[in-house]
Amino acid sequence: MARFTQTFLSRNAPPRCDCEVDRGVNVELAKTRRLPDLRGFVLPALAFAIWWAVSAIHGGKGGLLVTPEQVWHTTWQQVTSGALAKALGASLAREASGFAIGTILGLALGISLGLSRLATRMIGPSFDTFKQISLFAWIPLISVWFGLGDAAKVVFLSLAALLPVAAHTCDGIHAVPRSYVEAARVFRYTRRQLVWHVILPAALPSIFTGLYLALIYSWLATLGAEYLLVAGSGIGNTLIDGSENFRMDLVLFGIVVVGVVGSLLSGLARAAERAVLKRRGGALLKENV
Amino acid sequence: MSDTVILHLEAANNQIPTQTQTRRWRALGWALAPWVLPAALFALWWLGCERGWIAPQILPPPARVYATFVELAQSGDLLHNTLISLQRVLCGFVAGTLGGLLLGTALGLSRTFEAYVLPSFNAIVQIPVLGWLPFLLLLVGVGEPLKYILIAHAALVPATLSTLQGFRNVPVTLLEASRVFGYTRWQRIVHVVLPCAVPTLATGVRLAFTKAWLALVVVELVASSEGLGYLIVYGRQLFQLDLVMAAVVIVGAIGFAINRALDALERRLRRGLPSAFR
Amino acid sequence: MTSVVSEGVDIDRVSKHYATLPVLDGVSLRIRAGEFVSVLGASGCGKSTLLRLIAGLDTDHSGEIRVAGERVRDTSLQRGIVFQDHRLFPWLTAAQNVLAALRNAPLSLAEKRRAVAEHIALVGLEGFENAYPHELSGGMAQRVAIARGLVNRPRVLLLDEPFGALDAQTRGRLQNELQRIWQHERITMVLVTHDVDEAIYLGDRVVTMAPRPGRIERIADVNLPRPRERTDPRYVALRDELLAGFAQSPIVQP
Repeated sequence: MARFTQTFLSRNAPPRCDCEVDRGVNVELAKTRRLPDLRGFVLPALAFAIWWAVSAIHGGKGGLLVTPEQVWHTTWQQVTSGALAKALGASLAREASGFAIGTILGLALGISLGLSRLATRMIGPSFDTFKQISLFAWIPLISVWFGLGDAAKVVFLSLAALLPVAAHTCDGIHAVPRSYVEAARVFRYTRRQLVWHVILPAALPSIFTGLYLALIYSWLATLGAEYLLVAGSGIGNTLIDGSENFRMDLVLFGIVVVGVVGSLLSGLARAAERAVLKRRGGALLKENV
Repeated sequence: MSDTVILHLEAANNQIPTQTQTRRWRALGWALAPWVLPAALFALWWLGCERGWIAPQILPPPARVYATFVELAQSGDLLHNTLISLQRVLCGFVAGTLGGLLLGTALGLSRTFEAYVLPSFNAIVQIPVLGWLPFLLLLVGVGEPLKYILIAHAALVPATLSTLQGFRNVPVTLLEASRVFGYTRWQRIVHVVLPCAVPTLATGVRLAFTKAWLALVVVELVASSEGLGYLIVYGRQLFQLDLVMAAVVIVGAIGFAINRALDALERRLRRGLPSAFR
Repeated sequence: MTSVVSEGVDIDRVSKHYATLPVLDGVSLRIRAGEFVSVLGASGCGKSTLLRLIAGLDTDHSGEIRVAGERVRDTSLQRGIVFQDHRLFPWLTAAQNVLAALRNAPLSLAEKRRAVAEHIALVGLEGFENAYPHELSGGMAQRVAIARGLVNRPRVLLLDEPFGALDAQTRGRLQNELQRIWQHERITMVLVTHDVDEAIYLGDRVVTMAPRPGRIERIADVNLPRPRERTDPRYVALRDELLAGFAQSPIVQP
């Protein structure tokens, strides 16, 4: 009960002073660090126990029902043989390049669109329409133009990163309150000063959302690209190979790796966002965008 | 009146139509602006194929793509594959969203349930839908269940999280007001929490569809013998890029249309609430 | 036609329309240098619009506005403005916000920093230089906005209902602060408000405006010594008079 109250209070902190009550502040504060709630472990522990029991009785004979020991064994083998490092390294390297290229291009596009009403009007609708098409549908076309190897993958990843960055940057710039722009007018800011010192800082939270999404999407795109453009190595390849060779242990291992890397990446993005934006106050990243 | 005055008046009279003319041209330009880029790209495409700058294997001419389109439509292939894709996505989407709403509601209503289930759920969420594909391939093979399960999962995750967020984001002020009025727990849920949660739910539903559509395309690209995604792969393998492009256009169009519809619905649902909720 | 160049603000038959709606109609006012003028009026009388015209944020009007003899064509560092929403940049600290106003000032960095420190002290916020706007209360943020408006040592400081969003106690405190600052700096100030009390408390003159179309209804001199006593019978009489003027339908005073 005490913990509940504590969470409740921290989630709905009282206003800093009376004057804020009028503003109806409903700031979503960063989630407080809860003490580890052991109840969360009950379900996984139960599932694990059931798995162990069932596989001990029925499994382990080269079929789909692998035992935990087999998975552990495979994990160990993958790690020590360097296969994991190789696959993960390749995947992450591609993702990093795709993310970098896509982000830079996305920022350039987003900023140009954001600052020019004409550009937004001319390019915006086409861009929005393009965004709607499921990204993966482009892979076959990309594979025709760029082959099946790393080049095609990086192109695809760049595209996956570019879209959210451009969209959120553009939206962020458009959303900069006119009141800030007016204040800057009073200070006689030149256009360059206005963009650099007012518009971009004001749009930064939105830009960060775009970067966060770009990171997530490019990771998803990495996996998808590896499924569909099978040349080369990567963690996605490990997974698909595992499924093609009926190696459930390999697949499970791959899934865990993918999950861990995914959560590390989003944790990293969140930490970066917090570091840069925490001084401003206001709501942090929303969970699902 | 003196001559100069008459001249000035005449000049003034002639100016007004010109100003309106300029404004009209500008309005026309503004209305047409979004089409400039697509028109230019199309022109480039057409020209490139005409002049032979682009090989037909790399990029078939627009006429070919259109012809393929018509062919597909007429032969019934288009309809057949589109219906299959739509059926998969709708079933999966509905199942996943309903499941997500239920799960999210359970998580939202009961802190105990949340304490037991949410951590595991969060862990599962960390694994993207694509990550589950090989696992499910092994479990259920390359059949319809694979598609349904994957699409449902893709929809379930955002639906659950949005629902949960909808429950959690009810402003304290309203909850306190309901306490003052002596609402029972049930009354509070039905009359305060649910109405407040509706807009977030609407967003969640829209997101769920986007993810579901994405999952559909991927699973059809990887492991399917029917459907729009299959058309794309088939065309690719035969180097019939016109087929690929036609299919991509259709995928885009359908996704766009349904997304628009859901967006309009979401906006409808949000309209009733004050700006603090939007 | 006067041949003496006025050091203050000259508003000469200013009119403004939004489409066919007249917002201001033939507004003329002469403000002496160093004077504190309160512009009083209900919503829709055009007082905020007038302020924005003086600031140069809006130049679409007929008639002329001159500050220290120079025609107002655009914004200028010589005309500072404090908005009702403080409009502090949330990504900068209080001191950085004040410094931001000096970006285009012809001063060296050291001089700028000194000016910032001086003005933070002037508004009584020593110790809060490194606070971000979201960490400040409404009253404190508005004080930073005032410091920011003054740091360029403008010829005139325009205040657009600066205390409207604050609670009564903070408002009273800040009115005193503003009065103290004005007495210290002797910068021409034009305050727009809908609060009769505030207008009389702070102003040398109170200009009452009437709406539809926006025009000056009456100009009252406040010949009371400072610091003003809100209980002084003359103060009360003037307040009652002005309030009564609001209650009636507006009569155009020639």
